[in-house]
Amino acid sequence: MSAHAPASASHETHASVGTYIRVALILVAVTALEVGVIYIRRLTPIIVPLLLVMSIAKFTLVVMFFMHLRYDPRPLAAVFVGPLVIATLIGIALMTLTGAFLVFGR
Amino acid sequence: MAWITTVDHKRIGVLYGVSAFVFFLVGGIEALIIRLQLVRPNNTLVSAQTFNELFTMHGTTMVFLAIMPFSAAFFNFLTPLMIGARDVAFPRLNALSYWMFLAGGLFLNASFLAGAPPDGGWFGYQSLTSRQYSPGMNIDFWLLGLQVLGASSVMAGVNFIVTILNMRAPGLTLMRMPVFVWMTLTTQFLIVLAFPPVTIGLVFVMFDRFFGTHFYDVAAGGDLHLWQHLFWIFGHPEVYILILPAFGIVSEVLPVFARKPLFGAPVVIYSGVLIGFFGFGVWSHHMFAAGMGPVADAAFSIATMLIAIPTGVKIFNWLATLWGGRLRGTVALHYAVGLIALFTIGGLSGIMHSSPPVDLQQTDSYFVVAHFHYVLIGGSLFGLLAGAYYWWPKITGRLLDERLGRVQFWLMFVGFNLTFFPQHYLGAIGMPRRIYTYGPGRGWEFWNLMSTIGAFGIALSILLFAINAVRSLRHGPPAGADPWDGRTLEWRTSSPPPVHNFDVIPPIYGRDTFWREKHGDSLGRKPTPLPPAPEPHGIHLPAPSFWPIVTAAGALIAAAGALVGVPVVVLGALVLVVGGWAFALEHHRNPAHVDQTGNLAVDHRKLAMWVFLGSECFFFGTMIATYLAYKGLSVVGPHPHEILNIPITSVSTFDLLMSSLLMVLALNAVQRGDRRQARLWLFGTAFFGVIFLGFQAYEFTSFVHEGLTLQQNLFGSTFFVLTGFHGGHVTLGVALLLTLWILDLRGRLDVRDSTKVEVVGLYWHFVDIVWIVIFTVVYLIP
Repeated sequence: MSAHAPASASHETHASVGTYIRVALILVAVTALEVGVIYIRRLTPIIVPLLLVMSIAKFTLVVMFFMHLRYDPRPLAAVFVGPLVIATLIGIALMTLTGAFLVFGR
Repeated sequence: MAWITTVDHKRIGVLYGVSAFVFFLVGGIEALIIRLQLVRPNNTLVSAQTFNELFTMHGTTMVFLAIMPFSAAFFNFLTPLMIGARDVAFPRLNALSYWMFLAGGLFLNASFLAGAPPDGGWFGYQSLTSRQYSPGMNIDFWLLGLQVLGASSVMAGVNFIVTILNMRAPGLTLMRMPVFVWMTLTTQFLIVLAFPPVTIGLVFVMFDRFFGTHFYDVAAGGDLHLWQHLFWIFGHPEVYILILPAFGIVSEVLPVFARKPLFGAPVVIYSGVLIGFFGFGVWSHHMFAAGMGPVADAAFSIATMLIAIPTGVKIFNWLATLWGGRLRGTVALHYAVGLIALFTIGGLSGIMHSSPPVDLQQTDSYFVVAHFHYVLIGGSLFGLLAGAYYWWPKITGRLLDERLGRVQFWLMFVGFNLTFFPQHYLGAIGMPRRIYTYGPGRGWEFWNLMSTIGAFGIALSILLFAINAVRSLRHGPPAGADPWDGRTLEWRTSSPPPVHNFDVIPPIYGRDTFWREKHGDSLGRKPTPLPPAPEPHGIHLPAPSFWPIVTAAGALIAAAGALVGVPVVVLGALVLVVGGWAFALEHHRNPAHVDQTGNLAVDHRKLAMWVFLGSECFFFGTMIATYLAYKGLSVVGPHPHEILNIPITSVSTFDLLMSSLLMVLALNAVQRGDRRQARLWLFGTAFFGVIFLGFQAYEFTSFVHEGLTLQQNLFGSTFFVLTGFHGGHVTLGVALLLTLWILDLRGRLDVRDSTKVEVVGLYWHFVDIVWIVIFTVVYLIP
């Protein structure tokens, strides 16, 4: 932590090209699923959580593999995921306070 | 000329300090006029309109142009010295931050020359700032100036986070860092995360005023509370942005003049971090009077009470540091102890406000004015003055007159309390804030007179400080490297420090490393001397650069253009783009810039990009939350389900996802040194980006033809601004990719530049993941 790391430490081994292509295929498949499920009426009651889960899955895949967070030092994850979580919580609070989400009796 | 092109953190620190002092004088003169107007009932020194302008500019100036940049002066001058670094991570970006700050400050104050100073309060509540109620340029100056200042602050924030995390001397672990550096780090995180929400709030104001959108238009379904939320999501962390640096300064001053270590230093650090973290969860206590309902009121009340705990912990730790110490009554110690006393008063009145029923009695009264001046003068300014007296010898190489300083302190202490303590009483007996005059016979006359006399006492005190400073610069006695028997690294080098800070990177022996080196541990055992840290690249100092000031000038011209006309905006944008381009490529082939790996085993640029993306989470998070909050509230059509074309957007989404694949292939090729494939994939990524923009242009055009415009309804406003800003990010990404591609074509991109490609790639993937969210919440969720 304290000492300067050798220069080579900044060029960590990332995923292989094959992994990138597999991730891309999964992203395409999930996107197709996302578009497909909105036309299935029986899924209407769970459509919002279902879409959110698929969106989070795609988001996570890109961050972990394409952005290499899976392979990079943890502090990088902290400076991104921390703000992401706080921003999400504030966003939910903002929607709640403006009456669009989890409406309390105002 | 050397000052114009300087990238030396010490010079930039001095520039911040001098500029902040000048703006502080401007804000102080505004305060004195306010106090003169209120010195007696029915006074006619200024009109109601002028009074509105004065309190608006006083608040805005003191927050953004005085206290914040005073803190920035210390961050700049001291942080690299205290962590044993030769400069900040990005010296030219540091210069750009300063020039942007100066541009924003000059722009705001140019409003006086244009006869249209901002007049809607520093908080700019809607609908006071709408075009309907404020048709002149007053508010335009305010919102454009704040956006320039916000950009400056975020750039500086990213820079200092990277500097502190990645450029510490070997052995300086995080928990060995001085508390001032910890508070600097916490403050920078607050800045990069808290500014985006208010930036978006200001963007909405700007679009409402310039383009007729409906973000704050109640008749169209908008909500005035939205602005209050966005402002205070920024505004409350801003309080900690203003106070935490002062806490850090006091935590350095007390141990030196008590000649004992800071009591419970790790706890003081944790408390500061907790204050910063909790600072994001209390914003709505500024809105108890807005009618949020009992659940929200209770939640924010509890959170506000909680934040008092770490603050109280700090107070007790400072007192315990003084207890049993061999005190030296320097002016710096006077101010530090003054902060403990006065901030405690401000903190206690703050806890009173955390109770909604009590707050409802005090809100918009002079009680609140008294409270926040105890926090921001008694806390922030006293802390900054403690720092000014403490570090002046280090910065200038000369000592200030301690006797004159003590007179100055007591005049400030008495003047401050005479000014603001009576305002508690004035508020309690019913005097509202922001009134430009009042009638006789309400019992307000005497205490207003006292308050005005006190304000002139503060002014006289500041004048004495200026006299002391000038006398010291002209013929003050030389300070020597370590006049106070300091504990931290900045005292280990000469006063003022050489341009390279240290001849060799100093060894670290623990917390208070310099003290240990001089005096040993608590038992007097001196450490075994460590060899100097190796510097494989030797002493590398950044070269001066014109481009920061040119780029900042572009921002200033563009902001002015928004008030003058589109051609000037275009000119400003052109200067900004050319300046930014030249800035980015200025050191493209400088060998000293190839490897910037630091303490975290990560390149500075990569760390900076991740920190920036964290900030961007707040930027887009705010816009997406606003879209969702306003979803279904449009009072006229077309509505989303009538107009959104999911099949076409699915194709553009596919296109953007595939561009991310091409991006990682490009990076892979650059890392392997395969230039042919690198060129192919870089161009392919940019090309897919252009195709995405083409889809967006088609979508926007067809929507306009079908009747959905920015001005049509709330959906149009939120949709076009959200997707438009995303499109703007894609456009910037394409420009970056094409720049890399052109460099490659010219043979100027190889394996040494893989970090640059990776950093651009991170930005590109982020644009992709933002779209993943937008696609779901805007297009797919019914």
